[in-house]
Amino acid sequence: MYPHDALPDDVYARVSERLAEAAREESGTARMIEDGVSALNGGRPFAELPADEQFETLKGIDGSEFFELVRSTAVVEVYSDRRTWQLVGYEGPSFDKGGYVKRGFNDLDWLPDPEAAS
Amino acid sequence: MSPQPNGHRPVNRFAADDSDVIVVIGSGAGGGTLATELCERGAKVVLIEAGKHHQPEDFINDEWASLNQLAWLDERTTSGSWRIAEEFPNLPAWTCKAVGGTTVHWAGCCPRFKEWEFRIRSEHGPIDGASLLDWPIGLSDLEPYYDKAEDRLGVTRTNGIPAPPSNNNFKVMGSGAKRVGYAGVSTGRMAFNTVPRDGRPATVQDGFNYQGDKQRAHWSTLTAEIPKAAKTGRLDLRPESMAIRIQHDESGKVTGVVYVDAEGNEQRQKARVVCVACNAIETARLLLNSASPLFPDGLANSSGQVGRNYMRHVTGAVFATFDKPVRMYRGETMAGIVTDESRNDPGRGFVGGYYLQLHSLGPSFLATFLSPRAWGRDFAEIMEQYDHMAGMLLVGEDLPQENNRVTLNRDAHDQFGQPVPNVHFDDHRNDAAMREHAYAAGESVYAAVDALRTFRVPPYPASHNLGTARMSARPEDGVVNEFGRAHDVPNLFVSDGSVMTTGAAANPTLTIVALALRQADHLEQQLKAGAL
Repeated sequence: MYPHDALPDDVYARVSERLAEAAREESGTARMIEDGVSALNGGRPFAELPADEQFETLKGIDGSEFFELVRSTAVVEVYSDRRTWQLVGYEGPSFDKGGYVKRGFNDLDWLPDPEAAS
Repeated sequence: MSPQPNGHRPVNRFAADDSDVIVVIGSGAGGGTLATELCERGAKVVLIEAGKHHQPEDFINDEWASLNQLAWLDERTTSGSWRIAEEFPNLPAWTCKAVGGTTVHWAGCCPRFKEWEFRIRSEHGPIDGASLLDWPIGLSDLEPYYDKAEDRLGVTRTNGIPAPPSNNNFKVMGSGAKRVGYAGVSTGRMAFNTVPRDGRPATVQDGFNYQGDKQRAHWSTLTAEIPKAAKTGRLDLRPESMAIRIQHDESGKVTGVVYVDAEGNEQRQKARVVCVACNAIETARLLLNSASPLFPDGLANSSGQVGRNYMRHVTGAVFATFDKPVRMYRGETMAGIVTDESRNDPGRGFVGGYYLQLHSLGPSFLATFLSPRAWGRDFAEIMEQYDHMAGMLLVGEDLPQENNRVTLNRDAHDQFGQPVPNVHFDDHRNDAAMREHAYAAGESVYAAVDALRTFRVPPYPASHNLGTARMSARPEDGVVNEFGRAHDVPNLFVSDGSVMTTGAAANPTLTIVALALRQADHLEQQLKAGAL
């Protein structure tokens, strides 16, 4: 759903771990995931499909409760991972390093400082 | 609350049957400031707060973890045609449940209301579908309190406090704004320290304004007010205490507050005066949940206006990508503003004004809010542009409507067995027209500095929640008078943004503080005169 080729599989494994956790906590969720997964594997197993067919298959179930559970879990897990942060150029917390005041909070040099220009 | 055997919880300073105390419910911008001001003037105050008493060092610089620590996540429901009801049906508002209330995650933007924004009914005349009403006070009534509030909050560009320096994100928005001809372009009036002040340090530009400020450079009632109240010896702060009902006597005067403490036990605190400052959704809910045979439609609700006229500002965001790096997350999140569109110019196709304000999100929140429910390779590619992205928030006046409304949902109950609030909202066509104009303005700003792509981001769950107990000159038009005093109940006050008759374009916190300071003057004078 959020394919970043440079990210290790571990990042995406967080999503299935979190879903497994949710399934353990609630039997309704567990059933929804089981049903959703078996529907996805109804024809050729989903994991064996080429990427574009996987995408089309997912588009077909976009909006379903199962899809939304997986998507909303994935978007949080994938983009809260420090490896993703590194990939997209986000340095994250800086408080322990003294903030960005001496580490480039104003280092953009391809535009003027609007407060200085008149 | 009784003292606990393990000794972790402090013993209450004032007895439950001490009917001399003033009970303030909610410790945010309104309640936290009012409680502090009253303590400093010699009153005994019991400050009841639903949330926990976190310390800044406990704040978490990680967006979702912080949301789970600080946000008000108790169950709520939504209805209406707004996108929130579809995209975030159980999270209509993004406010805090913590000592310090929503000031804890406040970025600090401090515009004042303009003179005409207090009387938009007169300014515009009637508008179909809008329940417009003039405030019972004007700018001149509030100006002395704005002066005091700015000094108290340490607002930059006032009281000799230096302006914030330009950060990377502002260089993009500010340069674009200047190129399209905007004149009111600056790093703004902000309630964080640019130099050490009031015992708090200058900012180290560490971002994470919406996650609580670990270094205390930002003003909040948690770090800048409540500790002062505590020093007086007259504050009894009761965190993790959820007010569920306000009680009254046969004459209709309020007598105390029922709340559930951290151990889940119901407690009752007597009071001489009760001040409600729970943020617009919970303030309305508490008044409605306090219905009684004497007040069958809810406390202080003879007008039927409690919960109505809910406003949340016309909001939205614009993000843009560039071919060179921006790193919008470095530095103070909202230190930048364009004020030109905050004028009233119906020639633009709508009444009222709006601001463009600096804004950024980390990848965690951006991925959820940029295009809610989007996914796929295209979306992932946009996210990979994160460090080349700039952002701004659009904040403008929305019009009050009678049916934009907080009601009790009797089909759903919270952990205390109380009906949860339902928030119904439909955009007024004026709101929609303003949002379109603001999106276009934001896009033109970024186009002027050669954006590769721009993104219109729909409104988030609201941090500005207003109007559900509005001020009115006549009792039949609203819930409270010009001092926030309930028309129906002489010793009941509302002390938060709920009292706003209309919402103006300005971020509301500075005005909430100014109104709380004005209310404190009124309360002191009434107490001295023996009228309460």
